[in-house]
Amino acid sequence: MTRKKVKLAYISNDSARKGTFKKRKKGLLKKVSELSTLCGVDACAIIYSSYDPQPEIWPSPSGAQRVLTKFKNMPEMEQSKKMVNQDSFLRQRISKANEQLKKQQRDNRKKEMTQVMFQALVGNSLNNLNMLDLNDLEWLINQNLNEVQNKIDSLKKEANSSASVAVAGPSGEVKDIAPQQEAEKQASEMNMEAMQKQPWITDWINQQQENMGFLGDDVNVPFWDNNNYNGLWSGPFFP
Amino acid sequence: MARKSKGRQKVAMVKMPNESNLQVTFSKRRSGLFKKASELCTLCGVEVAIIVFSPGKKVFSFGHPGVETVVERFITRSPPQISPTMQLIEAHRNASVRELNLQLTQVCNQLEMEKKKAEEINQTRKANKSQCWWESPIEELNMPQLQQLKLSLEQLKKIVATQADKLLIQNSQAHLHSQFYASTSSGAVLPFESKNGVFNPEIVPSHGHNLGYGRGFY
Repeated sequence: MTRKKVKLAYISNDSARKGTFKKRKKGLLKKVSELSTLCGVDACAIIYSSYDPQPEIWPSPSGAQRVLTKFKNMPEMEQSKKMVNQDSFLRQRISKANEQLKKQQRDNRKKEMTQVMFQALVGNSLNNLNMLDLNDLEWLINQNLNEVQNKIDSLKKEANSSASVAVAGPSGEVKDIAPQQEAEKQASEMNMEAMQKQPWITDWINQQQENMGFLGDDVNVPFWDNNNYNGLWSGPFFP
Repeated sequence: MARKSKGRQKVAMVKMPNESNLQVTFSKRRSGLFKKASELCTLCGVEVAIIVFSPGKKVFSFGHPGVETVVERFITRSPPQISPTMQLIEAHRNASVRELNLQLTQVCNQLEMEKKKAEEINQTRKANKSQCWWESPIEELNMPQLQQLKLSLEQLKKIVATQADKLLIQNSQAHLHSQFYASTSSGAVLPFESKNGVFNPEIVPSHGHNLGYGRGFY
């Protein structure tokens, strides 16, 4: 079975064309049959070629005749509404493909711009961006800010629902902290472990301090000012 | 990332039990069927007519050179009409179809290239994710990370605004100034539709969907 890409043009080589015709005709008739069976619908196919004065018919001459009669009995408008020929069919396909192309290009641009944003966060210059780029970048930053805020809000909500119960004491707490655990499950392991042992609020404070150290030493820190650290820790979250 | 669909599955050759699956299957397979028929006509130069009734009692048909022509030929059992006029019409039609096939091939190739590009970008992003926590999906971040990210983004936003102003000042054209503010405040420019930028193309070189990276503003 060849899996070479076939050029969408008339095959000039006679034997190649005949071979292709035989294979594809067989495949086409099989597909019509499958469609008819799987979906329980009436269908017929008629194929005229130069290789045979008689046309290839599916399901059979009488079966096809029946379907054609049913077809002809429909109002003119219904018949032609979904009728296509090569020309109109190809135009439809081109239009659909163009839509997909535009969408993919848009997605790719968004992805590329996200990379730009990440790099800008670690200090890359914006000097080689034009106005359109900056526009898109601004939009993307806002998008991300919204998402971040939403996530912050939802985590706060979950904290509030289990925080009141978590303060009770270390034992018998595992069940109450469970919704917490779900939210934090994807975070680093140290969070998970700490979470299981201590009440919610104190645990958080410990975690910040660990994070500070971690970020300072190993990771290329994406922050503009060290002053921002202090801003973070004294946020509305802590008593 | 979760799989979007189940992929290719073997299906029993009986009428599909699930109504909505049946609808979807019909839609997809009918489309595929017509595509195969179209290819057969192009590749082998044959005449074809396919008629399919839908589950909703509508009728779809594909024909080359036309459904009516082929159906008539079949019903009347008559040999094909060949006249000089018909041949001329046929030739014109075929030329048009050739053009369309070319166009279709072009667009499909472009689409394939863009998809490959997307793959590459995904790969790079995946590779970076392990080193840079802020590149992870927002869903996966914890509270301190989120807080930090928020601050950094707000900071970046200011820097972008400053840069934008800087670019505007670099341009002596006054009308560009009002255009910029109009587009950002009214949101008339869709993001990432860089092909439809409102800016004066002399000022902003339109490189289609290039990033603008690595090339100066001028």
